[in-house]
Amino acid sequence: MTSVAAGAASSRRAGPSTLAVRAIDLLLLGVLGASVAGVVALAEQWGAPLREAVPIDLSPSALPGYTLLSLSRGLAAYGLSLAFTLVVGTLAARSRRAERVLIPMLDIGQGIPVLGFLPGLVLGMVALFPRTNVGLELACVVMIFTGQVWNMAFSFYGSLKAVPTEMYEVARLHGFSRWKTFRTVELPSAVIGLVWNSMMSMAGGWFFLTVNEAFVLGGRDFRLPGVGSYMAVAIERGDTRAMVWAVVAMTVMIVAVDQLLWRPLVVWSQKFRVEETGSGEAPTSWVVSLLGRSRLLRRIRRSLRRAREEARARAAARGALPGAGASRSGVLRASAALLGGVLAAAAALWGMLRLGGLLVRVPVREWGVLGLALGATALRAAGALALAVLWTVPVGILLGRSRTWSRRLQPVIQIVASFPAPMLYPLVTAALLFAGAPFGGIAAVLMVLGAQWYVLFNVLAGASAIPGDLGEAADVYRVSGFRRFLTLDLPAVFPFLVTGLVTAAGGAWNASIVAETLVFRGRELTTFGLGSLITRATHDGNFPLLAAGVLTMSLALVLLNRTVWRRLYRLAATRYALNR
Amino acid sequence: MSAAPPAIAAVSGVRKTFLDESGRERVILEGVDFEVRKGEVVAVLGPSGCGKSTLLRILIGLIAPTAGRVLAHGLPLSGIHAGAALVFQSFALFPWLSVEENVRIGLTGRDLPEADAAARVHDVIARVGLSGHERATPKELSGGMKQRVGIARALVSGPELLCMDEPFSALDVMTAELLRAEVYRLWSDGDTGLSSVLLVTHLIEEAVTLADRIVVLGANPGTVRREIPNTLPHPREPRNPEFLRMVEKIHDAVTGVHLPEEAPAPAPALPGRVAIGPFVPLPPATVGEMLGLLEILADHGGEMDLFDVDALTEWDFGRTIAVVKAAELLDLVDTPKNRVLLTDPGRALVAAAPREKPLLFRRQLLGLGTFVTVVRALARREDASVRGEEVRDMLAERLPNEATSVLFETLVNWGRFAQLLDYDAPGDELALFGGRAGDADA
Repeated sequence: MTSVAAGAASSRRAGPSTLAVRAIDLLLLGVLGASVAGVVALAEQWGAPLREAVPIDLSPSALPGYTLLSLSRGLAAYGLSLAFTLVVGTLAARSRRAERVLIPMLDIGQGIPVLGFLPGLVLGMVALFPRTNVGLELACVVMIFTGQVWNMAFSFYGSLKAVPTEMYEVARLHGFSRWKTFRTVELPSAVIGLVWNSMMSMAGGWFFLTVNEAFVLGGRDFRLPGVGSYMAVAIERGDTRAMVWAVVAMTVMIVAVDQLLWRPLVVWSQKFRVEETGSGEAPTSWVVSLLGRSRLLRRIRRSLRRAREEARARAAARGALPGAGASRSGVLRASAALLGGVLAAAAALWGMLRLGGLLVRVPVREWGVLGLALGATALRAAGALALAVLWTVPVGILLGRSRTWSRRLQPVIQIVASFPAPMLYPLVTAALLFAGAPFGGIAAVLMVLGAQWYVLFNVLAGASAIPGDLGEAADVYRVSGFRRFLTLDLPAVFPFLVTGLVTAAGGAWNASIVAETLVFRGRELTTFGLGSLITRATHDGNFPLLAAGVLTMSLALVLLNRTVWRRLYRLAATRYALNR
Repeated sequence: MSAAPPAIAAVSGVRKTFLDESGRERVILEGVDFEVRKGEVVAVLGPSGCGKSTLLRILIGLIAPTAGRVLAHGLPLSGIHAGAALVFQSFALFPWLSVEENVRIGLTGRDLPEADAAARVHDVIARVGLSGHERATPKELSGGMKQRVGIARALVSGPELLCMDEPFSALDVMTAELLRAEVYRLWSDGDTGLSSVLLVTHLIEEAVTLADRIVVLGANPGTVRREIPNTLPHPREPRNPEFLRMVEKIHDAVTGVHLPEEAPAPAPALPGRVAIGPFVPLPPATVGEMLGLLEILADHGGEMDLFDVDALTEWDFGRTIAVVKAAELLDLVDTPKNRVLLTDPGRALVAAAPREKPLLFRRQLLGLGTFVTVVRALARREDASVRGEEVRDMLAERLPNEATSVLFETLVNWGRFAQLLDYDAPGDELALFGGRAGDADA
């Protein structure tokens, strides 16, 4: 029936050279040129002198430029995260001693409310570079970095630890260099997890980016030109058209990054999959298929391959290479390690002293308020998560049952999850205020606005992974409706739900810092909580209170991770695991 | 038969199609008539992929057919068959529920007083020999015990029809034999209220051990090919000569279905063109398996009985058939009746040095239109390479009833060994070996 049409299509595609093939090659050259121009423009922005306040142009024609600036910050932060991940992950996996120090550090880093450190970071960086934009730009990049690096580092470290010893033995037996071991043994086993976590990290990064670009501390304006500040100014002036434009620009950027960067990377990473006989289907990317049709690339690839083969042949002709430089003397390495340890200890001691100095200036009464505020925000976070669970679990399970729908929706939710929620706060707040909700409640909704998608995403993934035979067993024995939900669906998605909730909880706590206080149409809305306390301390330049607030939140989060989440993880891994 | 009361479950003229991963329609079942009568044990026998599990699921209402009628006691079936229970190959137990709770799933929707329900659960757990394990979770149980839970869950509601989908395939041989005997005992006791059993299997001995009637299914698309009554008295002893004769009879039937006597008609030579062999599907066998078959034949004087080959290789029967068919297609063996003979090219291939084997194998491949067509298409290209997707499209178009991706995999496997084709899986790029047709021939 359809075979005639299919035949025609395939024979057309089989033609020797088509317009599309030529077009993709031209496009590739265009992209190359544009990147060069972009780097030059970026250098100008970084080198520009630091001004009192950056004027933001609200005309839509200025927006593409702002968007590209934001994108470059996101990418720079990601590059930094990747470098940190590779170095720290390798160190922790290779050396017992490094592992003992680094892993608890990563664990704590993962738990702390990054936004609380924003003021200190910005002030410090600006003090370092008082004359140019470099300080502010660096602060922004480092901020995003601290928001996204932890899960990447953990994933990489975990993958390296899971490399079978035999692989290392093979590498040693054949005298692989350090670099070759990394390339042929370690990277392939880590790459799938790393790409996946990179996507998640980058998505989280936009949140910090928009907050950071629009940062104002007390009377000082630390704004950077970008989509985040564009949106902030638009909100300040109540310019709805500009707000819509900003949302559109952000969406375009996120979709473009997803389609042009992550999808191709995911497809590429599949070649490292340890084959488990074709279960599930291979991810696809239109970019990869387009690139696959490019003659230019094909030719380049082929000549590269040839060059490599020739080089190898030449090396073989010359005889085996002498062993890569023998290891340096142990004494040198030991003394370097000692020096590093001493420096780190000194830095830690100095930091503790400074922190102690700040904390003793917080009056006892304030500590009591901090405790109450912690309780308020904890309640709000719990309520927000409950809200998220209430709608995402049924919806995720319903959608996950249909293979077509879950396949279609997963990439969409991934993109929605990447969208920085603070950009939507004013719109949501306006709607909820109009409906008569109190701001205390609205803040809870705002806190979970960005985080809920992680729950939905995970539940959807869990529901579509429910084995078909269990579904059939439920069908045959007429287990339906709510009973089916309780016996089959909920237990099956439970491990996924926990994973999603952990991410969402971290996000909600972090968001409390920007969600509990909001300037809306010139009016300041605020509700009692740890987040608003931190915001107020930042605003007033009350650094002792700020330090105490951030410390309280950090400790609370680490404690929550150690007790509630870890216990739920264990339950999920033992009772509700589906590997039978 | 027409005078008898209507069958417990029946299908007539059933057709079922699925969309495969690339969105192409594949016919799984075509024109199938089948019924389970009162008081019988019936087995559906066929190689994997012939649609026998699909037939079972249509019969009890788990899957709707694309066309055809499904009847329960002579009435059109809607929803799940009320008197049917199902035992799964993979057990399909809920890992978070205890044995007792899993068995109780079988009583869902029957409004029983709590005491009754508890008593029935307790009773059926004792019947399958799991007393004392009520509180255990499936993770703590061995495979055989898990399937006992599966059987208990199926029997607890007192169904009239027990369906079993490859129920013992995931178990070791000893456990499988034990459970087979117990299932027969549970059915023949009559205590469970069970009237009929439907067994879906790819093991001939299993079908002969349990069934009163054996239905042989053919593949691509699945159709009922033969129906053989089995009147051997119980208990059936696998080493009994009569049992062996019955197994042989079924073997013949399966072979007749899957290795037909008549050779495929050669394609007529077109004037002005070199005649190329027929464009036929490639049976899903690897070169390694074919070479293994040839070695075994050579070790046994170049001629063997098909069933001896099957017994010796320890492949399941469907696999043995596929390998023999593939070797026959390449003219490496011949199969008169149930014999497998080594041909001259087959002998030459066995005797050849490792370096020579690919060349000899390539000669055989180029007798197949399927390969000649692909190689010619590649040679026409400027760089002698083509995207795999195009080749799969072509295969799907010319052989619409086959699983395209499996076909492509086989094509690549054979082509690589023959040093005819080169395939780069990440780039999905199929190329002539060595880049140019000329190189490959030189």
